[in-house]
Amino acid sequence: MLNATKKWLSLKLSSVIMVPFMIWFLVNFVSIYDSNYENIVEFFSSSQSALIFSIFIIITFFHSALSISEIFEDYIGSEKTRKFANMMVYLSSFIIPTITLLTLYKL
Amino acid sequence: MNNNPLSPHIQIYNWHISSLVSISNRITGVINILTLSLICFWVWMLLLGNESYESIFNFLNSIFGKFFIIGFVWSYSFQILSEIRHWFWDLGYGFELKTSKISGILVILGSIIMTIIIYSLRGFLI
Repeated sequence: MLNATKKWLSLKLSSVIMVPFMIWFLVNFVSIYDSNYENIVEFFSSSQSALIFSIFIIITFFHSALSISEIFEDYIGSEKTRKFANMMVYLSSFIIPTITLLTLYKL
Repeated sequence: MNNNPLSPHIQIYNWHISSLVSISNRITGVINILTLSLICFWVWMLLLGNESYESIFNFLNSIFGKFFIIGFVWSYSFQILSEIRHWFWDLGYGFELKTSKISGILVILGSIIMTIIIYSLRGFLI
């Protein structure tokens, strides 16, 4: 299978998985964002919320990294710049969810 | 020398609903991931305790905070509906000009309606 085909399939599959999690997150987020510290910690400490939120951020960062690399492909001419930009996006899409998962585990 | 062909930039096209939704899909996608990064940062701040959280609490309860959250909900709603529109295209439906125009309008109007519904549901579901 061509790399471009694998990338396209990964984008489509992650999109189908991501949408229900996005809806879950929006509905819950608007309900807790202005709550006090204790309520928010309680929300993220619950194993159910922590698990769903973890899946949501992993899949969303994965999908976004692939989508943003498509944008770079379209608009960045220099291969060197494009590789660097892609590396930064992939790196942050790994680091940010990892730190967040560790934080959820510590809460 | 790099010969990678680039997309023509957006200013050379005439504006249509489809191009508007397409470029908005990309823009909201980038905004959404930046906002999600901020939300992850918000979760990290919880580790620092109640006192450090106070400034974030004050911001989120201010008028700017609420404006930020409503904008965030709209941007995500737009992305969700736009993704669903792409699923239909991937299955081979909705390519006709008229259908594509209607689905584009549905994404724009639907995202506004979805934002109102989701924000109105706050507190009811959890």
